[in-house]
Amino acid sequence: MSLYARLGGEPAFQTAVDIFYRRMLSDDRVARFFDDVDMEGQIAKQKAFLTFVTGGPAEYTGQDMRAAHAELVKLGIADEHVDVVIEHLGAVLTELGADAKDVGEVAALAESVRDQVLGR
Amino acid sequence: MLSLGAQEIPLLEGETVLEGLERSGVDVASGCRAGTCCKCMLRADSPPPESQSTLRPTLRAQGYFLACQARPEGRLTLHSAEAPTPVDTRVEEIEHVAEGVARILLRPSTPFPFRPGQYLDVLHPDGHARSYSIASLPSDGVLELHVREIPNGRVSGWLHGRVQGDDVRIRGAFGQCFHVADDPRKKLLLVGAGTGLAPLLGIARDALSQGHAGPIDLIHGGLEPGRLYLREELSRLAEQAPQLRIHHCVLRRATQHEHEGQLDELAVRLAGPLASVRAFLCGDGEIVHKLRRKLFLAGMPSAEILADPFLPAPA
Ligand SMILES: Cc1cc2nc3c(=O)[nH]c(=O)nc-3n(C[C@H](O)[C@H](O)[C@H](O)COP(=O)(O)OP(=O)(O)OC[C@H]3O[C@@H](n4cnc5c(N)ncnc54)[C@H](O)[C@@H]3O)c2cc1C
Ligand code: HEM
Repeated sequence: MSLYARLGGEPAFQTAVDIFYRRMLSDDRVARFFDDVDMEGQIAKQKAFLTFVTGGPAEYTGQDMRAAHAELVKLGIADEHVDVVIEHLGAVLTELGADAKDVGEVAALAESVRDQVLGR
Repeated sequence: MLSLGAQEIPLLEGETVLEGLERSGVDVASGCRAGTCCKCMLRADSPPPESQSTLRPTLRAQGYFLACQARPEGRLTLHSAEAPTPVDTRVEEIEHVAEGVARILLRPSTPFPFRPGQYLDVLHPDGHARSYSIASLPSDGVLELHVREIPNGRVSGWLHGRVQGDDVRIRGAFGQCFHVADDPRKKLLLVGAGTGLAPLLGIARDALSQGHAGPIDLIHGGLEPGRLYLREELSRLAEQAPQLRIHHCVLRRATQHEHEGQLDELAVRLAGPLASVRAFLCGDGEIVHKLRRKLFLAGMPSAEILADPFLPAPA
């Protein structure tokens, strides 16, 4: 069973996405990258993000990680920002009841796309 | 069985609406196929509830559902995505209620279904279309609009020049900003700037007429006291409905009848605890953006924030 399913699937995710996005918007280290006028669209994308890193619906066909962050790389996202994302991710998952092993696995998955996200 | 216009599409055992449509060669968008991405959202008369469970209440009320999650029993009639046909109306009354703001009552010549708080498009004879929110109830028989005149504005200026008896063509209704009576005790927070009052007035009256029992806080903001309009009408409404509270907010020159400050800060302060509130935010795009963000960061679930930014039409 994927972590996505164990954490409660879709209904739990609605809440998780809110918590995660609230954290990103409140953290001065990364807030400017999320300061989009279209919050509704942003929330949908944060949901895609969380679904992706927790092994949600396998057929998820969003943009690839490189394309999704190409504009942000131009705006200056770097390793330190990926670290912040992984930090908040761990906190949100813990808040939702994931254990340390789960959090470690998600962090590893996020690590595995670090180079794509940063366009390297 | 699915019906889509003249087409009849039988569904196989256990097949979802999405799978059935794809098998019959209908071009339909899809993504995760697991009820998450919402790309396959369609509309129908009474879709299966489990295919609507993750959608906003306003979408559910309009029959939207996720095709990848729907396994209907019996017949499901899908709506096509065509634009609604224009309707002719006649100006019944036009009244200037504040500097630059007209309250316009239109009487449609043919039935015009809508939910108070939704908007319609006014079709200018030259072909320009602009959106205006509806402040009245279907039972009023007329469509009430509040229109601010924008300097050099094509459609708002034209509307301000209309007189009683003139023809105005409209199309609609559109939008997700309306009351859904899924929880009569829920607290409703209605915040609008300027003519953002129009949809909020519709939503508040609609909620009251559907027997809403929970508190309703209506916050109207403007630059200064003279910009706030329909104050008497709002007070009368609040006298008849003890659960409705009206708050007036201005950026400057407040008297004892108004709060002074930034609308988003005042809204969070006046609203109280936010965890089980539904908010409706209407008016100027920038203000609605700030309000939405402030309320979200203060703890409101994003799914309970309904917003109608009055964005200018694309050039
Ligand atoms: C969902 C929705 C609901 C709306 N509801 C209402 C409503 O209830 N009442 C209402 O009065 N309006 C409402 N609007 C705004 C309305 O649709 C028009 O954008 C507005 O009336 C201007 O149209 P116009 O043809 O007069 O001006 P245009 O000819 O489109 O614009 C003329 C010039 O003014 C600029 N401009 C346009 N809007 C503004 C503005 N707000 N402030 C400053 N400059 C501007 C334009 O960029 C352009 O340069 C709503 C908009 C949307 C999207
Ligand atoms: C661990 C690394 C990361 C992963 C796995 C990841 C994953 C994703 C996913 C799946 C999407 C949605 C793409 C789509 O379907 O459109 C997305 C979008 C986005 N991500 Fe990331 N992300 C990562 C790091 C970051 C960082 C470090 C930032 C900035 C600080 C960031 C900011 C954004 C923004 C702003 C969007 C929306 C882009 C848009 O509006 O087009 N991400 N991300």
